[in-house]
Amino acid sequence: MNVIFALVLILSTVVLIFVSPDSLLSAMLNGGNKALNLTVKMVVIYAVWLGVFEMLSQSGLAKKFASILKPVNNRLFGQLPEQANNYMSLNISANILGMSGATTPMGIKSIQELEKHPNTEYAIAMFFVINATSVQIIPSSVLALRTAMNSLSPSDVILPTILSTLLSTVIGVLLVKIFIKKKC
Amino acid sequence: MSKYFIPVLFLVIFVFAIIKKVKPYDAFTLGAKSAIPFAVSIFPYLASIFVLTELFEVSGLSTALSNFLAPFFKVLGIPTELTKLVLIKPFSGNGALAILTEIYSTYGVDSYLSRCASVIYGSSETVFYVAAVYFAGAKTKNLTAPIIISLIASFFSCVFACFICLIM
Repeated sequence: MNVIFALVLILSTVVLIFVSPDSLLSAMLNGGNKALNLTVKMVVIYAVWLGVFEMLSQSGLAKKFASILKPVNNRLFGQLPEQANNYMSLNISANILGMSGATTPMGIKSIQELEKHPNTEYAIAMFFVINATSVQIIPSSVLALRTAMNSLSPSDVILPTILSTLLSTVIGVLLVKIFIKKKC
Repeated sequence: MSKYFIPVLFLVIFVFAIIKKVKPYDAFTLGAKSAIPFAVSIFPYLASIFVLTELFEVSGLSTALSNFLAPFFKVLGIPTELTKLVLIKPFSGNGALAILTEIYSTYGVDSYLSRCASVIYGSSETVFYVAAVYFAGAKTKNLTAPIIISLIASFFSCVFACFICLIM
């Protein structure tokens, strides 16, 4: 992360000094502004989803749901602490269903929970790769945009998208299995 | 059909919670309370990513890089018009969405390029964004291997997307 940051920072600053020196600071501030806008939106989305999730976990429904997914999760991640398994089950299901507001808070909680336990580097790497290669089944935002732009058959892209996203996740999972060592 | 999904799911959650004697007001408020610390812990990481993306774009580096990589991508079957989309997607969902919209209006929403762009957009994630946000409060900072793995896997799916849109 730091290497990429250093590279882009130095290169773009040098380029901008020659091309348009006055746009450097404004570009950086612009980026910060976008981050703030997104953060404000996220507060609202998180408030709603975390509120619903709290009801879900207090009612015991989240636990039941997670115990159904436990065998699959254990195969993929190795033995998981119970609380981490709960959060990860919710995160991955929300991911598959494309409930993007719900995935992030559960993802962060999963990582925090995994970190409390030793020898979870493998599970963390696997969990990150699954999230970062996208497992969403229905590309809802693409479909909405295609419909809005008067596509004759917006749903043409669903099957190719499912196949393609499946492929990226399978490759990701395999690469993690090959290159990252399981300690437990 | 899918518009009923979230309402029905929420109804099940609400009814079940009340049957189990969960205090709905207290529970919801407790959950919602953690939204602000969550967002606050994420903000600095988002700011870094967004500043970086903005600099990358404004300095013309992204255009230079996509011009440089376009011939290599073309060999693998990724059309030159889509190089920028493939490059931006790991950094910025909004940036990628803007490019997708532009491709739709330039080449027609049902053209091969547009379908291909749809699949690329829909089947990949904003890898760096996920890395920044998920690990906002985390001690694990060495994510190099998982990030590289995710990027490689996503790139393969882009190549695959361009291929499968030719035949489907």
